[in-house]
Amino acid sequence: MSQPKIEAVGAYAPRFRVSAEKFEDAWGQFHAPGISETAVPNADEDSVTMAYEAATRALGAAERAGDEIAFLAFASTTPPVAEADLTARLGAMLGVPESATRHEFSGSTRAGTRALDAALSAGPWGGTGDSRNQTRDDETDRVGLVVASDCPRGEPDSPEEHAAGAGAAAFVLSESGGAEILSRAEYAADYPGTRFRRRGSDATEGLGVTSYDRRAFTETLAGAVEGLDGEWDPSTADAAAIQAPNGKLPYRAAGALGVETEAIQQCATVHDLGDTGAASVPLSLAKALAQGDERILVAAHGSGAGADALLIENRGVAAELALDAGESVSYAEYLRRRGELTSGAPEGGGAYVSVPSWRRTLDQRYRLVAGKCPECAALNFPPEGACNSCKTLVEGYEDVELPGTGTVEAATTISQGGAPPEFAEQQAQSGDFGVAIVALEGPGRESVSVPAQVVDSEAVAIGDRVATTIRRIYTQEGVTRYGFKVKSE
Amino acid sequence: MRDAYLVGAAQTDFGSFPDESYRSLFASAFERTRESVPKGLDPDDIEEAVVGTLGVGGRQLGLSGPAVTEHVGLHGIPTTRVENACAASGYAVRQAVQAVRSGMADVVLAGGVEIMTDASGDATKYWLGVSGETEWERLSGTTFAGVYAQMADAHMAEHGTTTEQLSHVAVKNHRNGAKNPHAQLGFECSLEDAETAQTVADPLTLYHCCPTSDGAACALIASEDAVETYTDDPIRIAGVGAASDSVGLFQRDSYTRIEASRRAAEMAYERADISPDDLDFAEVHDCFSIAEILAYEDLGFCEPGEGGRLVESGATALDGDLPVNTSGGLKSKGHPIGATGAGQVVEAFKQLSGTAGDRQVEGATRGLTHNVGGSGGAAVVHVFEREARSASNGASGRRPRASESEVAR
Repeated sequence: MSQPKIEAVGAYAPRFRVSAEKFEDAWGQFHAPGISETAVPNADEDSVTMAYEAATRALGAAERAGDEIAFLAFASTTPPVAEADLTARLGAMLGVPESATRHEFSGSTRAGTRALDAALSAGPWGGTGDSRNQTRDDETDRVGLVVASDCPRGEPDSPEEHAAGAGAAAFVLSESGGAEILSRAEYAADYPGTRFRRRGSDATEGLGVTSYDRRAFTETLAGAVEGLDGEWDPSTADAAAIQAPNGKLPYRAAGALGVETEAIQQCATVHDLGDTGAASVPLSLAKALAQGDERILVAAHGSGAGADALLIENRGVAAELALDAGESVSYAEYLRRRGELTSGAPEGGGAYVSVPSWRRTLDQRYRLVAGKCPECAALNFPPEGACNSCKTLVEGYEDVELPGTGTVEAATTISQGGAPPEFAEQQAQSGDFGVAIVALEGPGRESVSVPAQVVDSEAVAIGDRVATTIRRIYTQEGVTRYGFKVKSE
Repeated sequence: MRDAYLVGAAQTDFGSFPDESYRSLFASAFERTRESVPKGLDPDDIEEAVVGTLGVGGRQLGLSGPAVTEHVGLHGIPTTRVENACAASGYAVRQAVQAVRSGMADVVLAGGVEIMTDASGDATKYWLGVSGETEWERLSGTTFAGVYAQMADAHMAEHGTTTEQLSHVAVKNHRNGAKNPHAQLGFECSLEDAETAQTVADPLTLYHCCPTSDGAACALIASEDAVETYTDDPIRIAGVGAASDSVGLFQRDSYTRIEASRRAAEMAYERADISPDDLDFAEVHDCFSIAEILAYEDLGFCEPGEGGRLVESGATALDGDLPVNTSGGLKSKGHPIGATGAGQVVEAFKQLSGTAGDRQVEGATRGLTHNVGGSGGAAVVHVFEREARSASNGASGRRPRASESEVAR
């Protein structure tokens, strides 16, 4: 029976880093062995925006568009809302057809590999034989997209928090991919209290019974790996993507799994990104695939406890990884960015944008759908009302999806006190932010001006080149509004 | 069409008044306006009222016009509330002029009121941005400080305007405001104060931004048939112009000029049959210091791009060729949104009736007010002209300064 292969991979980690030394300065000790620094999501990032970042990179590497996706899986232990189908939101950001199959996986750090497993069982997604709302021509094979994105938290003095990092990995799967999954297996055994999060809490915790925790970890992982049935032995793997709650635990399991510690080291991301939860193993797999490791063992461990194992043979996949560190932050800045120290948005009044009116603009906010004026051919954004160029009230604009690159026409940096109160919480967390008017290019020579916030406290000036991404705008009535912002190209 | 005249105008102090309500502020502006009419005015003569207010804080958003006119005993007359953001009462004056010139009424009250300081800073800021383009501009993280900062950024890049020139606007307006007993920030500031103040939205510092204010202002407009009942020194509304543009800056043709101001000024000059050279003073909309520089250019006081150098030269100071914002402007006098446009007309009335005290422009006979809504979505310009009727010029005296225009710049 044929199953899909991995065709392309994308990965993303926030650019901010906090080092183990900063924790030590603050606490006198650091509870996450083997981790030198962790990735810190900015105030306007969450598991959905990081998923978008990884997914657009994977699709870009595959040279695929969102409308080729027949299957979408999103995995995270930290979805930004406890209930709401985030595959619908992520799908809208990526332009996934409404009729695509969707799955959301959560509740365990092996959610990422569960998502991969579900895709492998569901695909491949040929272009023929499935006529449901087909938007591409029948000859084009369609693809599955699996995205694991996570930013776990713990109580400030806990090992979970000290280890907590952030990142996302995305995989495009198709019949023609270059990385084949030779075998997969899973294993679960009831180990209460090993890693869990209470209902209503943001903090992951564990009882910290060292030998018990370690047994749960090695027993489940070894159990899954033993179940593999491939052409080569896991001990011969070039790279082993092993669950990494900290930088030491995966190596402790090496013996039980029969893999070399060098193989774990080969694709480890925990040392520089921290514990990335459900994205931990997917990120290591992404790294291994991108660097061309041929024999890859995948072994993910999940809270409570379960494990997934996969054996992958890699003959080359397209990849775009954005895992490099940017700015280092102090421990206090880290707490600010993560929202530990801020008191939430002030009570509001004017300038209310209702959720239904917000939804009307999603094509613009997620996918930059502008409109071409039928009278003068100028681009309009948003494409409604009289044309901004010829001032004619036209019948309807022709949809034009902008590629998302542009040039700064005017810019400012908003200091404390200069921001609308809806942005006060974000500003308290991540400081002054830039806002520019950007001439976004169309497919041809024309451009259209839009106002856009600049991400990650970057300063931009007139004439600078920028590219769009998606971040959180703000949350009102419990509903987070996501939309495009820009960053230096 | 018959002419309309400004026969009285007055304002409350602008500032922060926790003990006042929007009604009590309006009442004291109205009372002072009646007192400002040279030959007195019976409130029963007022046939109609137009009131500008945004409604910051959400107080009495509906029927805020009748709420204040009934409160001051103008019982039963038609009252209309005008909302055009910061240009609300500039437009209220324009509506009053229209009502008089059309023949619908002989005496019309135009006014404005706003209370902005009785809520927390954050709550007030929710309301400040509400006249920006809400769905896109606001959601990029800007209020007007940010939008005007972008205009300043573009103007600096295009024309070489400097932050020091922006600061000169603040220094000049504070110097004037220090001479105005109604001013909210009636103190002088140095160039260094303005340059080193904290940044609000780069390149704008705190001193480049007007304050939030409470206040009210009124003006009485009378027809040429009625004017002699109220004054022997009539001030004619020689020209009115108004125009609109896209609400969001990003939707406009230029970031370095305000097209609505240009159109409004062109229209007002044409109707008054004057050029900017004929003006003795101007009250312009300086919500941010860059806005005054843009106003110089849009109103034709200088060539495009020369606004920064014009303020630096001292030409717009109280003793300059064309004094601008003798009242202190929005910057020093204050900016109670709905009352601002009418407040500018109050200064024009004082200058033209020779009651501007220490900041009197000698021999002022012709002045302009310029009121902008938001970042340029609306603008209204009035040209006022003192007719030397008591000097027996009669009806032919409408251009008393025609031979004196060489004293203006």
